[in-house]
Amino acid sequence: MCFNSFFFLFFFMLINFFFFVYFIMNGLSVFFEWEIISFNSMSIVMSILLDWMSLLFMMFVSLISSVVIFYSKSYMNSELNLNRFIILVLMFVFSMVLLIISPNLISILLGWDGLGLISYCLVIYYQNLKSYNAGMLTALSNRIGDVMILMVICWVMNYGSWNYIFYFDFMKNDYVMFIISFMIIIAAMTKSAQIPFSSWLPAAMAAPTPVSALVHSSTLVTAGVYLLIRFNYLLIDMFFFKVLLFLSILTMFMSGISANYEFDLKKIIALSTLSQLGLMMSILSLGFPDIAFFHLLTHAMFKALLFMCAGVIIHMMNDIQDIRYMGGLSLYIPLTSLCLNISNLSLCGIPFLSGFYSKDLILEMVSFNSFNLMVFILFYLSTGLTVFYTFRLIMYVMINDFNLMMIYNLYDEDYIMLNSMFVLLFMSLLSGSFLSWFIFSYPYMIYLPFNLKLMVIYVSILGSILGFMVSNMGIYSLNKLLLSYNLSSFLCLMWFMPNLSTYGLSYIYLNFSQILFKNIDMGWSEIYSGKGIFNILKNYSVFYNIYQMNNFKIYLFSFILWFMILFIFFFI
Amino acid sequence: MFFFILTNNNSNKMFFLFILFFSTLISISSNSWFGCWIGLEINLLSFIPLISNSKNLLSVETSLKYFLTQSLASINFLFMILIKFSLLKNFDMNNIISIMMNSSLLMKMGSAPFHFWFPNIVEGLSWMNNFMLMTWQKISPMILLSYYFNKNFLIFMIIMNLIIGSLGGLNQTSLRKLLAFSSINNLGWMIFSIMISENLWLFYFLIYSMMIFMMISLFFLMNMYFMNQLFINNMNFFIKLNLLINFLSLGGLPPFMGFMPKWIIINFLLINKFYFLTFIFMMTSLIIIYYYIRIIYSSFMFNYFKMKWVNLLMKNNMSLINLSSFISISSMILSTFIFM
Repeated sequence: MCFNSFFFLFFFMLINFFFFVYFIMNGLSVFFEWEIISFNSMSIVMSILLDWMSLLFMMFVSLISSVVIFYSKSYMNSELNLNRFIILVLMFVFSMVLLIISPNLISILLGWDGLGLISYCLVIYYQNLKSYNAGMLTALSNRIGDVMILMVICWVMNYGSWNYIFYFDFMKNDYVMFIISFMIIIAAMTKSAQIPFSSWLPAAMAAPTPVSALVHSSTLVTAGVYLLIRFNYLLIDMFFFKVLLFLSILTMFMSGISANYEFDLKKIIALSTLSQLGLMMSILSLGFPDIAFFHLLTHAMFKALLFMCAGVIIHMMNDIQDIRYMGGLSLYIPLTSLCLNISNLSLCGIPFLSGFYSKDLILEMVSFNSFNLMVFILFYLSTGLTVFYTFRLIMYVMINDFNLMMIYNLYDEDYIMLNSMFVLLFMSLLSGSFLSWFIFSYPYMIYLPFNLKLMVIYVSILGSILGFMVSNMGIYSLNKLLLSYNLSSFLCLMWFMPNLSTYGLSYIYLNFSQILFKNIDMGWSEIYSGKGIFNILKNYSVFYNIYQMNNFKIYLFSFILWFMILFIFFFI
Repeated sequence: MFFFILTNNNSNKMFFLFILFFSTLISISSNSWFGCWIGLEINLLSFIPLISNSKNLLSVETSLKYFLTQSLASINFLFMILIKFSLLKNFDMNNIISIMMNSSLLMKMGSAPFHFWFPNIVEGLSWMNNFMLMTWQKISPMILLSYYFNKNFLIFMIIMNLIIGSLGGLNQTSLRKLLAFSSINNLGWMIFSIMISENLWLFYFLIYSMMIFMMISLFFLMNMYFMNQLFINNMNFFIKLNLLINFLSLGGLPPFMGFMPKWIIINFLLINKFYFLTFIFMMTSLIIIYYYIRIIYSSFMFNYFKMKWVNLLMKNNMSLINLSSFISISSMILSTFIFM
């Protein structure tokens, strides 16, 4: 099953690649439409839009998913129901592909809901309490986005069909489009875990690592960004985009800080995903959709690779995910640490790896166009924070002293997992340049003063030094101080947003419903409907039985008595 | 074979069974009221030998009670006929004579408020005799009722039937008395259907007698007379399922057969604007379903009662049980295909 689906998806990736090259060189885009039902004024059509963006994204999705399925053959080989897992992953890929190729809100809804549902099934795959809670958080946060898309479907019915791409140029100032853009932005924010809805992404790390590699790094969370890229012409001058800018740079900043306090390997990587998502959303809301798309693709590559390396390390450490137990692994697992280092450095934006092309371009565009001071500061600060937590991670896992948790389990020769990581390694090295040559037919004109251009390097070096200093694990280190406990817990627990959005929202209602339940359900309505009526009927029945158990001649005599009464009262 | 079972495996009584059938036919197809009375009398006379068994003191006492009540009602009926045609000579149905005639017929049927003999007698009869009592013996009084009835009186009697049928059955543990009270409740439905049309009554009566037959034949095969006997033997799943379906069908739960006549009667109730009466019909129906479900539901829960030292001899021929379940479940839906 694994090999079959791997070959199928790889072949699909090659087909997409060739079509992508053909389409982008010739500037083609193909639109298939199949009308299913047409009734009064609306028609339900199934449309497929193949232009270079959707083909490229499909190529990346199928590449990552084929590699992940190959990887999971070895990672989940002790799983009894591996077929079920592979089928879930394939259904996930199918929903993603449906989302990518659809210019039509109904098929977007199918893909979107499918993504939410299947990611829930995958998060709760290990059936324990933690996965259950994580899955509930994931599913309910995604559900808000589903509801928003449903409402958009309702509102778009004003325009006669659900093919939104035809209406952008004509309806920009319409009130209906205003409402639609608001809802689309909220839907994208839930799926891509921006600030009000960001509590599900670290929690969803309860899923198996291949799922995290596929779902939570590259495909599910970028679905929101992709939706906004498609809707970009509509949203570009609207007020909500500025709100989205504000929220996404705050997401970027917050997750960068929180990743510095985390000690769980997968949570650090999840928070770094969240930070890069904030970056993508913010550059999108500044008005550069193609750069956002570029960063989406390169980020998918190295983040999937990073998750897979994390999976190898977790397997090696006998399912321990805490980085305080790891150290000095670079000596013992050279190939895996090669992949880990390259993906981490690509994440930081080290020159000429793939992440450099997209991140540096983003930062230069931010500096070149004049935005306000807060945007500028938070962008650069978040870049520095990215380097900070990356170096901290590398120090803890690779460079610090070996912690002797596992000695003979340091097994690097699992070539199934390694080969799949090498594919992504190759792409992670080269996809930056390769994509920039394909997507940008002419380079962006950027003219910056010298220090501003080097600002990236200054911030990166500062972040790396701080990362090195923080990762010294002495008890007397300044960062372990209890004086800063309040500030530390605020920054560490993601600014208390998970608590607010789970416990804070539900506490009042659960409290109230407990009062209602005790007083009404188990109180008065028992007297007035449940047990009370039963008691009444039972008493009546007992009372009736007294009349039933009588002498026989009483029955006969009562009959005669009835007739005598009739005779007396009506014949006299 | 069926008649043989009906007469309690005593083929000498088949003669009386034959006369019983004929007596009903005499009663309902006669030209004059006198002929009706004759039919009723022959009915009484031929039913008594069917139910009396001189070896069993309880059945002797039961047949004596039956004789006393029914003959009292017949005497009254004859008397009222004579009064009506010799003294009053009118055909108006809203007078006192119709009330008196209806009361005597109601006593023959076992309808409230003259129903007190009915649970007693049902307790003393075997299952097949009960079946005859609950179905066949009701035909001729009902049809005679439809010839000359007083609407206001009958509506009051309907309400009493329904309430007594539902409330009386709540406190019973004997299966025969339970079915007796359910029979009293269904009499309420049937009397109302007489007031609408005789065809409707026939429809209700046929379906009711079919359901009662399926129920009684199941109890007869398992030889169960009391509620505790339901749990002592280990019925296999299909017999329990059949019992459940029959009980729910008798109570009038929708996909089953017993819902159809009740539905049509409620339809006629609402057309004729008997709104409060509809309410009483439905609420008493709920109480009836409650005590049906109470009998059987605990044998379907996850921890149903199962005796470890009893082996139920599995009946070889389950086809009758399967057929009856099938009929109960699918009749309503199949009938829409036939009568569409």
